[in-house]
Amino acid sequence: MGVFVSDHLGIYIHIPFCVQKCRYCDFTSYAGKNEEFKNRYIKALLKQINQAATGRSAASLPALEGRIVDSVFFGGGTPSLLSPDQLGLVMAELRTHFVFTEDCEITMEANPGTVTLEILRGYRELGINRLSFGVQSMEDEILKTLGRIHDSAEAVRSVKLARDAGFDNLNLDLMFGIPGQTSEQWTSTLQKITALSPEHISFYSLQVEEGTPIYNDIKFGTLEPLTDEEDRAMYHAGLEYLREQGYHQYEISNGAKPGKECRHNVKYWTLEDYAGFGVSAHGFVDGIRYCQGDDVTEYIETLERDESPVIWAHKNEPEDSASEFMFTGLRLVRGVDLTEFEERFGISFESMYKEILEELEEFRCQGFLVIEEGSTNGEGTAEGGCRRMYLTERGMDISNRIMALFV
Amino acid sequence: MSSYQKYIRNFSIIAHIDHGKSTLADRLLETTGCVSTRDMKEQFLDNMDLERERGITIKLQTTRLVYKAKDGNEYILNLIDTPGHVDFNYEVSRSLAACEGAVLVVDSTQGVEAQTLANVYLALDEDLEIVPVINKIDLLSARPEEVKDEIEELIGIDAQDAPLISAKNGINIEDVLEAIVQKVPAPTGDPDGKLKALIFDSYYDNYKGVVIYARIVDGSIKKGDTILMMNTKKKYEVTEVGVNAPGQVPCAELGTGMVGYICASIKQVSDARVGDTITLANDPAEEALPGYKKVQPMVYCGIYPSSDEKYENVKDALEKLQVNDAAFLFEPETSTALGFGFRCGFLGLLHMEIIVERLEREFDLGIITTSPSVIYRVVLTDGTVKMIQNPSNLPTPQEISYIEEPMVKADIMLPNEYVGSIMELCQDRRGKMTHMEYITETRVLLHYEMPLNEVIYDFFDALKSKTRGYGSLDYEFLRYEKSNVVKMDVLLNKSLVDAFSMIVHESKAAQRGRFVCEKLKEVIPMHQFEVPIQAAIGQKVIARETVRAYRKDVLAKCYGGDISRKRKLLEKQKEGKKRMRQFGTVEVPQEAFTAVLKYDDNK
Repeated sequence: MGVFVSDHLGIYIHIPFCVQKCRYCDFTSYAGKNEEFKNRYIKALLKQINQAATGRSAASLPALEGRIVDSVFFGGGTPSLLSPDQLGLVMAELRTHFVFTEDCEITMEANPGTVTLEILRGYRELGINRLSFGVQSMEDEILKTLGRIHDSAEAVRSVKLARDAGFDNLNLDLMFGIPGQTSEQWTSTLQKITALSPEHISFYSLQVEEGTPIYNDIKFGTLEPLTDEEDRAMYHAGLEYLREQGYHQYEISNGAKPGKECRHNVKYWTLEDYAGFGVSAHGFVDGIRYCQGDDVTEYIETLERDESPVIWAHKNEPEDSASEFMFTGLRLVRGVDLTEFEERFGISFESMYKEILEELEEFRCQGFLVIEEGSTNGEGTAEGGCRRMYLTERGMDISNRIMALFV
Repeated sequence: MSSYQKYIRNFSIIAHIDHGKSTLADRLLETTGCVSTRDMKEQFLDNMDLERERGITIKLQTTRLVYKAKDGNEYILNLIDTPGHVDFNYEVSRSLAACEGAVLVVDSTQGVEAQTLANVYLALDEDLEIVPVINKIDLLSARPEEVKDEIEELIGIDAQDAPLISAKNGINIEDVLEAIVQKVPAPTGDPDGKLKALIFDSYYDNYKGVVIYARIVDGSIKKGDTILMMNTKKKYEVTEVGVNAPGQVPCAELGTGMVGYICASIKQVSDARVGDTITLANDPAEEALPGYKKVQPMVYCGIYPSSDEKYENVKDALEKLQVNDAAFLFEPETSTALGFGFRCGFLGLLHMEIIVERLEREFDLGIITTSPSVIYRVVLTDGTVKMIQNPSNLPTPQEISYIEEPMVKADIMLPNEYVGSIMELCQDRRGKMTHMEYITETRVLLHYEMPLNEVIYDFFDALKSKTRGYGSLDYEFLRYEKSNVVKMDVLLNKSLVDAFSMIVHESKAAQRGRFVCEKLKEVIPMHQFEVPIQAAIGQKVIARETVRAYRKDVLAKCYGGDISRKRKLLEKQKEGKKRMRQFGTVEVPQEAFTAVLKYDDNK
């Protein structure tokens, strides 16, 4: 992690198809699209990858052709609704333009209700080496509240199929803080999940987004939300249990067995480059943040007209990057390296943020924040002269308050 | 009387808010051709945007109309517009003193209102000829005959041949002009006498200095004259005289009976006070015109720069406003909670709201206002008397012998169906009814004596709300009366925030304390710790609430590297924090200061 200007690129690809939209979901995804539509989407994707590689996607964005790629992430939506053939076209296009490192992490999200052994083998053959299953809960009642299309038995079966297909790097996504969920149910879910021994576990506190069905249920009183206290009790109990089971937390909502942290995910929090392809995808390349619009038909038609689907691009000023370095970096358990901050931005942390030092000190005194000299918080080796700032476990509960100081 | 005088008519328009005064003024201007329709903005005379928006007139405007009457003669009609709110009673009375007649506009759907009556009485005090006009006759709900009867019954003037008009649609406007010519007497006064001119308005102009509006009662005034203000004793040389035609048109001289403007390089409006008499320095009149009084603020509040505003900016703005408004006072004060700021005095609550709104809108300032307070007369045990308008300055109970609070005479006019709920409201506000009149079968006038303290709190809002807008209020100072009032403090996280302190009647303290605590609980955000909110009298806590500590403020998921969304969320959070004010360890949003004052319908 010593190198901070990495020319290794991450790639995020958005697949916006679902069998059915989950009741909490506000991501860009569409249920009930037919094969013809999906094929049009794949074609559009291939075109965008080509555009990006040759520098035709937007005036300000550089040509990415030939860049070294060390992570690819197919997110959604439900990428596993694409057949290995469809996905193969995308992989082939990527390999045409980019150089993949030998250990390139290639992740794909999958829904437990949508996979067979044969399909999983197909993915594996394409070079996909990490699967992320949206299991969410091992209680069927809770899965219903969430509007998931699978039950817990299917989740267990899918994990087994993935192992059989040769996947040795699995993530299981979990949720807690769900209306109606008890702490016993959460503990039980964690037990059942760790029994499956995935390499990586994500555990998200349910975010109720305006306009989703679950939001309306809460608004109209059909569902009773958990209190903040209940939610946090689950979070901390979960962390403790996972630690006992050999998963160490490296980010607010992520834990892994040693060495199995998600490389792609970490890029987001360390100002590393990642290209974003597909509808509503975001990217950050050479200091430029950009994104595509979130209407899939418009995305397809734009590319069919050979135009760029990039609707927004912003060249980060040094202070933008500095603030992102801080508020994204603090999501990681190891936090941010203040020595690195100074090297990157040519100004000491204390001078850049002199106006908020007092407030930071306040958070530090209350035990939400730690500033440590010459250590890396148990991660990696300690380097002389390094200074780290990181949130404590309690600090993570209120991380927005602290991060907001940096914007 | 010189010959030109008989062709002059000086008049005002009296009306309740919304009854169409400004609209009628517009039509008069238009009909006499003083303003072309093309140049007309709605309500030409209401200069300030604020006035146009609120539909009320705050500052006087005066205009000269030239009208060729049916008798073949050309008349000069000086329209002296008056402010339409109870806070500006004195200014209304001086404007009326400059006239011989008043056009009384009554809405034919609403009838006579308390405030209309109050102004009619002011006009009658000045011996003005009242010219009734019935407006809005084009509306379906118009009942002009009933309203005529109401006017005759209430005011005792003949209203049978009152013009029936629609100012909005320009119906029968000529009838109004004819009625003015025929009914309003020409100005009397001695053209050869010593100069006496009544100041009925003044404002500050960046180029000319203070511009005085005056009525020449005796004698005449011209450029170059050295004038003397008979009450303030200040002398100035006249640089310009003229008339508003509209728009200032200089002229050689203002003669007896005329209305016009005078400039004399005066720096402060307070040096040319409304009600003062202008005479010539080298040939002064023997005595001033009657009725001068220095208006005194009745309501005070603190105005402080908000956390991201500069003290100097607020000071500059207040100074600018004061140049133009002799009734508005301010002086520096310090609050332990809010830092350096100003204690400001106003004629009434509306006056205060207007100033605050102008500071925010015209000057674009971020300010915090504290609870308005009246002036208490505090008699100490050693017999000395202190006038206290800032609750924080109230001496300790041991030093106080007794406290007196200002009482007002409040007249409330309303439809009879609301009498019950309004009597209940008045009783709750410690009002004592002196008597009650049925003005018509359905309209009632209630006479109350009430503490001003209760009136300025939220009485007007409550009255409007409980009468669906039909109730109207007029009040004036009556006397000081002994009262059992106490100082109530608010403590956040155990420390006193002086800006929330208020003086309340002992019988209301518990109720107010609960209300303030509940309101603050609603608006104070969760902190990392529990925040107790307490209302206390001395050491005794009378109400208490707690803001729970927050436990969770985290974005669990930040999907697909969408950092800009995360940034927006954090920015929003930071923005919210900016509007907070730090009191010790507790952050209080600025709206907290107004929230504790607002009338609550559900209470």
